[in-house]
Amino acid sequence: MQPATGRALVLVLTLSVLAGEGGSQDAPGTPAEQYRVLRKEYDRVPGGGTLRTDAERLKFVGGVYKHHSAVAQKFLALAEKYPADPVALDALTQAVWQVNTVPWPVELVGDDPARARAFELIRRDHIRSDKLGPLCQRVSYGFAREYEDFLRAAAADSPHQSVRAAATVSLAHFLNNRLQRTDLCREQPELAAEFAGLYGKEYLAGLLRRDRDAAAKEVETLYARAEGVYAGEKLPGGEAVADRAKAALYEVRNLSVGKVAPDIAGEDQDGRRFKLSDYRGKVVLLDFWSHV
Amino acid sequence: MTNLKDRPFALVGVHVGGGSAKDLKALMAEHRLPWRSFVDPGDAGAGPIAAKWNLAATPTFYLLDHAGVIRHKWAGPPGAAVLDAAVDRLIATAERDSKPPPPR
Repeated sequence: MQPATGRALVLVLTLSVLAGEGGSQDAPGTPAEQYRVLRKEYDRVPGGGTLRTDAERLKFVGGVYKHHSAVAQKFLALAEKYPADPVALDALTQAVWQVNTVPWPVELVGDDPARARAFELIRRDHIRSDKLGPLCQRVSYGFAREYEDFLRAAAADSPHQSVRAAATVSLAHFLNNRLQRTDLCREQPELAAEFAGLYGKEYLAGLLRRDRDAAAKEVETLYARAEGVYAGEKLPGGEAVADRAKAALYEVRNLSVGKVAPDIAGEDQDGRRFKLSDYRGKVVLLDFWSHV
Repeated sequence: MTNLKDRPFALVGVHVGGGSAKDLKALMAEHRLPWRSFVDPGDAGAGPIAAKWNLAATPTFYLLDHAGVIRHKWAGPPGAAVLDAAVDRLIATAERDSKPPPPR
């Protein structure tokens, strides 16, 4: 028995090697199966193990990003091959699922070559899908130009109220986030260089030239629309749009750069009452802290 | 952040770690923390000041100019170089504008 099994195993291995080399005829299976195989590949990140130093951890992060970007191109190719199959949108969504929120510099994480084309296809073929809510929320943490174009398209063109609601809230979040990061780029040339490397020199230059007050006003207008028009909707995570919009509007109107800080009245560690506004006339660094 | 003593600058804390003013006094004495801090009453992170300021995490910093306008917000420590540069800029503006502080 033993030797026979051994030979059979060798034979099977040989056959699978041949099939691998032989190309298309035996290979792929349905688009859905191909998608599942790619999902497994996507999740099989290289490296890991025990990472002891910061350098090792950084290298690991870079490796994960590059791996995901490489598999993203395969998801994109799958969607290009079967544009009418239901799996096409899943593949495109997965192709852009990695969002560099930190953001890590391009020298570490590499390019994201699937992104532009994947969003082009999503907008061309799938903007009427009812499945876009989670992607809207996902990309709202990013910075890339394609995210803005996608969110604007979904907020305007989706026939589904729930998608328009998620896209509107996500667009407001994206624009606010981008505004704050653009502010930081204005003050920190090294950061500006990183963002230019990741997202394009011209794109960043255009953002830096933009009228800040108008950009801030648009964030407020979008949240106000979410609160008014989409109050009854829920976000993909289950949170009510009305709650999210209300909290965000308060923050935009009272806790943003350019607004007079809300006053604080309370007692200090000696039990003496005082107010934040007691310090008018001085520059104040207000530090929310805890000892744990 | 040294040499700010005679300049128009104040560090004001909001302690959101829970406990009473007395607890905070003991904690700050133990660690020799010299600044003045509001006590946000209630459980850690659940006090009225944290709620009003939509606080998501500590540390969070707001830098206000001499008119009380928010000029910077940092979630997490911004780093000494960024913080010093921003503070210096605003202090210079405050000193340039130095009218007496508005009456309260």
